[in-house]
Amino acid sequence: MAGTQRFIVRQGDVATPVEVLTDGRVRVGEPGDVFAVTAGAPGWYVVTSGARTWRVAVAGPPDARWVGAEGASACVDVQAEGQARSARTRAVHGALAAPMPGTVIDVAVGVGQQVRAGDILLTLEAMKMELPIRAPRDGIVSAVRCVPGELVQPGPPLIEIT
Amino acid sequence: MIRTVLVANRGEVALRILRACGELGIDTIAVYSDADAGAPHVLAAGRAVRIGPSPPAESYLAGDRIIDAARATGAEAIHPGYGFLAENAAFASACQDAGLIFIGPPPAAIAAMGSKISARSLMEGAGVPVVPGETPADQSDAAIAAAARRAGFPLLVKASAGGGGKGMRLVRGEAELAGAVSGARHEAKTAFGDGTLYVERLVSKPRHVEIQVFADAHGHAVHLFERDCSTQRRHQKVIEESPSPALTPGLRARMGGAAVAAARAVGYRNAGTVEFLLEGAGENARFYFLEMNTRLQVEHPVTEAVAGVDLVHAQLRVAAGDALPWTQADLRQRGHAIECRVYAEDPSAGYLPQAGRILLYRPPERPGIRVDAGVVEGSDVSVHYDPMMAKVIAHAETRDAAIDRMRAALAEFRILGLPTNIPFLLAVLDSPAFRAGRVDTAFLDEAGSGLAAPVPLPAAALAAAVAHAETARAASAGREESGRDPWAALSGWRG
Repeated sequence: MAGTQRFIVRQGDVATPVEVLTDGRVRVGEPGDVFAVTAGAPGWYVVTSGARTWRVAVAGPPDARWVGAEGASACVDVQAEGQARSARTRAVHGALAAPMPGTVIDVAVGVGQQVRAGDILLTLEAMKMELPIRAPRDGIVSAVRCVPGELVQPGPPLIEIT
Repeated sequence: MIRTVLVANRGEVALRILRACGELGIDTIAVYSDADAGAPHVLAAGRAVRIGPSPPAESYLAGDRIIDAARATGAEAIHPGYGFLAENAAFASACQDAGLIFIGPPPAAIAAMGSKISARSLMEGAGVPVVPGETPADQSDAAIAAAARRAGFPLLVKASAGGGGKGMRLVRGEAELAGAVSGARHEAKTAFGDGTLYVERLVSKPRHVEIQVFADAHGHAVHLFERDCSTQRRHQKVIEESPSPALTPGLRARMGGAAVAAARAVGYRNAGTVEFLLEGAGENARFYFLEMNTRLQVEHPVTEAVAGVDLVHAQLRVAAGDALPWTQADLRQRGHAIECRVYAEDPSAGYLPQAGRILLYRPPERPGIRVDAGVVEGSDVSVHYDPMMAKVIAHAETRDAAIDRMRAALAEFRILGLPTNIPFLLAVLDSPAFRAGRVDTAFLDEAGSGLAAPVPLPAAALAAAVAHAETARAASAGREESGRDPWAALSGWRG
């Protein structure tokens, strides 16, 4: 039997070390609490620690894993320790990707243009809401990968700044 | 009875209507846009007709295409649901011209209630209270001041041509009036090219209390009690309940009577809702006509629960020319019902709507809980339509029991794949103001940001996230493979 498996679970900016022990129980945090996890119906897990029990639903791939318990749900990134973060995760965290599927209604900048943090780079429309995408930092626009009228998906960068 | 109904809508309301038709032995036809091919409402109908591309203007709002679909399939009637074409008088007329029954009120009633100005004067004529106010014919400062004194303070000075808060001033007393009038007039001229002003008394801390009405073609009209929809953010209802915590039997009877008078004044038929602003509570509360929604409402299940009726069955029967199935004396309000609207949205990001695929969907199942959903596991929540995924309705003997039942149902409702407002709904249900029944329409906009904060996952959830069967496989498969992961195109927002 191999030793323990160690993971980092990221939710937004918060990273939590999680360790699968040799007996199959799971330690969350350091020193943290140890939980027993039993798989139920597909996507369902019964998690116990001492006298407490949680029913947790799980779906999705490791780097976009959705978890729901007790009325709370969130998307986390599960990554084996020592592994590089995936390109997809980094791209989305770069903030120049669409946060949701939408239509590009305006591209306010062109390649080579100097922008300041907070400048509106482009505007998306989704569900009748306008959503400005702003520059996260000062820089020069090195690529524009969308045009007005285009339906875009979250993930791929729409604009790159160097 | 009508033999064939085309449902000109999508999502949960389309399913609601299709199921009601099925129960009455009526054949059904669904219509769908490209985004909805294979959607639950398409699968639930006897037949389904594609009406166009995903944008509503080319599909669910394209009345001519919907009427063509009805003709092509031999439908006798069209049910518009809510939203889209439901309150479009021209569409209702076009249905009639095409020889189709429009399951709703006569076009003239839709038009009369669709104009705020004509509705207000009709209601005044019918003796239904309206918020005191007027647009003085003489727009001099002195005449506007006289109109303000007639309306009473505090009041709002508004641009008659306007909207969106432009040219609007709050006036707490006589001393603020002159400045407000000149400021509002200037802003109205700039924004709308028309400086005409309207003065209206400010209804402070109002509740939104609406009365369900129903009328038939045989001269009968009844009300089916109230729904309190005060829990709203930016005029979007979030939680509705019946009875209203603010109504006494006497006030309920007066508001019900006013709502029936409003319906009679416009020659109403079928289901409708008269919305009122309620100021104060108990016997001394005052109510004012706000508007009439000339259709089935999103929150109609609340009324169905407490009145023990099926409003869609009644809509179909009344549209076929039958008399109302109940008299006023038959109707009783029993127990307490609450509805929560479950949206794909991120309350902590200003209620930003979310789109994406529902990876896991497990609705609550327990006594006294009804879930009307437009989605199933695997559904895509599209950017093109309203992000409401489901409604949960809890019915119990008392208000407290209904809140407890709703809490339990929402806590076990699992929707994964995109953020939902479920944690926010739970926070609202748990807030002392909601528990005490003291919520007015300003409550969520004042307290909302605290209630909308993200709820952290328990540590136990992270344990399950790691234990989930795919982790080990994906961890050993390496990053390049993960880059081609088919999930990559499907995931929602993780910002």
